[in-house]
Amino acid sequence: MEKRKVTFRIRRFNPKKDSQPYYQEYEVEVVKGMTILEALQFIKDNIDPTLSFRAFCRSAICGSCSVKINGYPKLACKTQVFGELEVYKTDILTIEPIDNMEVIRDLIVNWDSAIEKMEKMRPYLIPDPEVVPKTLDEECKVYPNELKKFDRFTDCILCTTCYSVCGIVKVDSNYGGPFPLARVYRFAVDPRDALKKERAKIGYTFDMWNCVRCEKCADVCPKHVAPVNGIMKLRGLSIDIGLKNNPGARHVAAFYKSLLESGMLNEVLLPLRTKGIKGVLENLPMGIKMILKGKAHSPIMKPIAEHEGLRKVMKAAMEVE
Amino acid sequence: MGKYAFYPGCAAKGASKELYEATVAVAKKLGIDMVELPQFSCCGAGVLEEVKDVLDIAVNARNLAYAEKEGRDIVTVCSTCLLVLRSAKYHLDNDDDLREQVNEILAEADLEYKGTVDVKHFHWVLLEEFGEEGLKEKVKKPLGGLKVYPFYGCHTVRPKDIIGYEPSENPQSLEKIIRALGATPVSGVRRLECCGFHAFWPAPQISMRLTGLNLKDAKESGADCVVTPCPLCHMNLDANQGRALKAIGENFQIPVLHVPQLVGLALGIEPKELGLHRNFVSFNFV
Repeated sequence: MEKRKVTFRIRRFNPKKDSQPYYQEYEVEVVKGMTILEALQFIKDNIDPTLSFRAFCRSAICGSCSVKINGYPKLACKTQVFGELEVYKTDILTIEPIDNMEVIRDLIVNWDSAIEKMEKMRPYLIPDPEVVPKTLDEECKVYPNELKKFDRFTDCILCTTCYSVCGIVKVDSNYGGPFPLARVYRFAVDPRDALKKERAKIGYTFDMWNCVRCEKCADVCPKHVAPVNGIMKLRGLSIDIGLKNNPGARHVAAFYKSLLESGMLNEVLLPLRTKGIKGVLENLPMGIKMILKGKAHSPIMKPIAEHEGLRKVMKAAMEVE
Repeated sequence: MGKYAFYPGCAAKGASKELYEATVAVAKKLGIDMVELPQFSCCGAGVLEEVKDVLDIAVNARNLAYAEKEGRDIVTVCSTCLLVLRSAKYHLDNDDDLREQVNEILAEADLEYKGTVDVKHFHWVLLEEFGEEGLKEKVKKPLGGLKVYPFYGCHTVRPKDIIGYEPSENPQSLEKIIRALGATPVSGVRRLECCGFHAFWPAPQISMRLTGLNLKDAKESGADCVVTPCPLCHMNLDANQGRALKAIGENFQIPVLHVPQLVGLALGIEPKELGLHRNFVSFNFV
């Protein structure tokens, strides 16, 4: 069986005695197939019993063992050591606690901030009395086409990996974060829910338009939930219920209008269409520099070839139920 | 040599005109068979999904269908266009009901989506067609001594389920290109971070702060310049550089180049032909 000597460089921190975190190295002979979690357990059992990390199910379902491996967060139980050595072409792996949460000890973080935020966003079904029967004698059916809208989002295991990589969580304390906002969407499209699209207002309150669509949450999710897609759809629902007078929603309308007019984005009119006169004034110095550099097109754009076909496609798509 | 349909995207046709110029010049110099299709529309930058899911997919199925008619893989120079087009393709190829529904919509324009073409980034094509060694052989003016910070941004690598060209944890395509050109890639901790472009309108301060931190990391890594495969990252890193650095209380300048601009210089193409005079922060490499 293939074996390799691997150095695990682990970030240690015990707030009761350490003034700051430090790194400790452990050399382990790793057998092919061994997971990061098995390596951590080996270190704890054989080298250093003080090493602290979380682990319960060992089957990628409880979501407790997310750690950063060379800077990228993954579930330790689902990640094989050899795979990581291959990605980074190395024999040294740095293991650290995930970001955006307080470290309790070594690789263990305090999830409270993320979970408390989610709790404020009412992430549970509020039954619609028109749909959900009052007694258990009757069924409450959810049809496959209805389930398809939110099925993927129910796979979230609350591991907080997405929350830990979110750049907006880091800089905007009011931002809801990836998995909580995706959960809001999940209930907003559940036919049994009483609030339905009105839940988009919760997303709005928790700064959903500040999502930069960096796709990190989609990339790191061990369950392929892609919370960002839920956030995008929740934004769409907010427009449906009339929350249109904000830069995010107006930006969407500007794109739609541009495609109908010429098929290409009208960048020159974008500041005006997205933020009104304020947008023009804020971006005027930049706009002038762009013109001087020859980087601005005419505000009246020539339509693309077969533009009428694009308009027909857009019209037909908008008519789909 | 593959046959490609050039999808420049709106930025390269407008505010990042220099990217269009540099890409066309490099493709010509390397003899890449690349034709721009006049029917291509804006991909909607993911924003159309917020109007309606199926609208986003249908508009991009139309773009894909035109490339299929020509039998050419789409090659784009915009990372967001790359993600949006690949995402539409992914959903169309993996959901029979959706494909059927979208084809009914496309029939309005006498088009059909079959799923026969791929969508690639321009710098992937450079590596696929020539390889690191082959590209090195084409270099006329090696960029010896130049330290380049490879700023990938987001949609060139993420999410892996849709992009999947290289490991999103540790991509190396830009490093390979930089090395092939005779320059040295510098390693920075923020090379895979977000520039914040897509939150520029609702949250300009957040957007500028993220860009500022990326520029600061490039500077601290000892880079002479930054190179990026995305015009939207470029807009924030170059045109908005002053505002971004102000947002984090810094004040310096660092040139930011599009990938085809850097490649073009090494191939011996004149800076003017690569639109270098249009960059906000000037770059003078002798």
